Amino acid sequence: MTTKELNTRIDEPTRAESQLIERFAGLPEDSHRARAFEVFERTGLPHRRLEQWKWSDFRAGLKSLSEPEQRSTISLSPSDDAAVLHFDGVRWHVPEELPDGLNVFEKTEGQSLGNVNALPMAALAAGLTGQDERIDVLQVEITKPVDRPIFLDFSYTSAKMAFGRIAFVVREGASVDVIENHTGGAGLSSTITEFGLQKGARATRTLLQTGSRQEATAITASVNLAAEAQYEQTALAFGAQLARIETWLSYTGEEASASLNAAYLPAKGYHVDFTSNVLHGAESCVTRQLTKGAVPEGGRGVFQGKFHVPRTVGQYTDADMQHQALLLDNGAEIFAKPELEIYADDVECAHGNTSGQLDETALFYMRQRGIPLADARALLTEAFIAEALESANVSVREALLEASRDFLRRQNQ
Amino acid sequence: MLQLNDLSARVGEGDEAKSILDGLSLEVPLGEVHAIMGPNGAGKSTLAYLLTGRDGYEVSDGTATLEGDDLLDMEPEERAAKGVFLSFQYPVEIPGVPVMTFVRAAMNAQRKARGEEEISAPEFIKKAREVSAKLKIDSEMLKRPVNVGFSGGEKKRLEIFQMMMIEPRFAILDETDSGLDIDALKTVSDGVNALRSPDRGMLVITHYQRLLDHIRPDKVHVLAKGRIIKTGGPELAQQLEREGYDGILGEPA
Repeated sequence: MTTKELNTRIDEPTRAESQLIERFAGLPEDSHRARAFEVFERTGLPHRRLEQWKWSDFRAGLKSLSEPEQRSTISLSPSDDAAVLHFDGVRWHVPEELPDGLNVFEKTEGQSLGNVNALPMAALAAGLTGQDERIDVLQVEITKPVDRPIFLDFSYTSAKMAFGRIAFVVREGASVDVIENHTGGAGLSSTITEFGLQKGARATRTLLQTGSRQEATAITASVNLAAEAQYEQTALAFGAQLARIETWLSYTGEEASASLNAAYLPAKGYHVDFTSNVLHGAESCVTRQLTKGAVPEGGRGVFQGKFHVPRTVGQYTDADMQHQALLLDNGAEIFAKPELEIYADDVECAHGNTSGQLDETALFYMRQRGIPLADARALLTEAFIAEALESANVSVREALLEASRDFLRRQNQ
Repeated sequence: MLQLNDLSARVGEGDEAKSILDGLSLEVPLGEVHAIMGPNGAGKSTLAYLLTGRDGYEVSDGTATLEGDDLLDMEPEERAAKGVFLSFQYPVEIPGVPVMTFVRAAMNAQRKARGEEEISAPEFIKKAREVSAKLKIDSEMLKRPVNVGFSGGEKKRLEIFQMMMIEPRFAILDETDSGLDIDALKTVSDGVNALRSPDRGMLVITHYQRLLDHIRPDKVHVLAKGRIIKTGGPELAQQLEREGYDGILGEPA
């Protein structure tokens, strides 16, 4: 197939889409990859006419893919005991020495992806990873509780595009703490992290996303929980020209639980989108979701959260979704769509969604004690954001709090 | 000295504007404790907010100075650094900011504004321990976010805790007695009395005489309709208790 023929699948492809099609055309044939890429081609780069992407228009934002000239300077450092797996935009680098209970398998072929039809950016990544001559897909098996954190460093050598994928299978009773450090470096990047948690398995995921205004990124996680499995996710995002952090979580066994905590801090010209979809596909599962944002003038925050509780299998679901955002200045933008889709009748589901400004009486109280207005605002906002980061992995929690404090102090100057 | 001269103020804007202080004059020398009493709506809390710089009040006439410095010209934090402290009638919750963090930030901000050195962590902790013991404040309370989930009495204690840590030059206590039971009233009053000093002035705003049994004022002023209508010694508070505001207001000024 020539590039020209491929082009016909997307109506009037943009320059960026043509570049992606060219990349796909240059890869060896693989049925998994072809299926995923076909899904991507149904929509092309997601755009505002797709309901789930109406506030994050990748097609309009990405005219062509080029190497970013700017880099974000914010990054996490792994703790001394962490096992660091680095994805450089082309391949994974896995250390020789790995913690006991952790096996890494390098995949040189495409892998199928659940929910692929609903995830065009993840479909793109699945369509462009899994190649003979590079190792851009890893599978990690966790066979027992691993107490050293696994630090996934997604930082790319300046590139037009980067696509990477990693999957964790956590065996019965095993546990793992994963930290993802997404510092960008590619004009367009899309990564997929998958967690398959078997009975009673436990995983935590702590994520930092930073980038420049010349980058667009989609970071997708797909999480499956068997009975009594536990998952805890904590994310801090500063955004990029476009940044979409999407989590799809599905309960397949009873009495599993998950918490999804996130904070977004997009500066002027930055965009952060936290989207999540939780399927309560088994009885008596518990979800706690807290998303907080603070947005200055010219910044854009998006929250889309959905809990789906089917009638037949979702009984005794206990789920709570909270989104709270602060507009720090005039000209800040926050878009929020919390959705509860509940068909089961014996459930406890709640949601709350607020966007507002700092409490004037609290600010006055602090100033009366001698704290200057800018510092009072910073203290209040920091405390507000910090609540969503409490659950972060202890080895990077202070660094995440420090990064949010630095950001908020800069905004207040 | 805190000196208020012919102070008039309005709240609200345009047609909604309402006169709340109407030519109020008052002098409180450092070293003295004065009480302001008055019926609801007389402008007592307004006066406290006006002196500390809360938004929403417009001074239409008069002056307010502390040791000759024009307070009305300053931001709230500048007034605080000059030494003005308000014990709030309704202390405010500061979610996520622990008491110790907050008080230390406040003390250091004031010191910085005055060009003084910051308080060291050990020095701060030692002082906090001493003050909290005097006020019978549990050390666990100091680790909790400011006023979040505190009872009315705990909030008032915490106001006095902050005052004793900050050691202001001039303290305004706005209805500090409300929400306190008799034992707590005694503890809090002991704390306030411990701060009495020749270089510190205090203005105690209250409805009732009972606080003034513990904190003996040098002078009592009666505030009504936005001005001081009567000034006397501690016996004036007792007269008010006996005769009510009507008795006093009924007398020719």
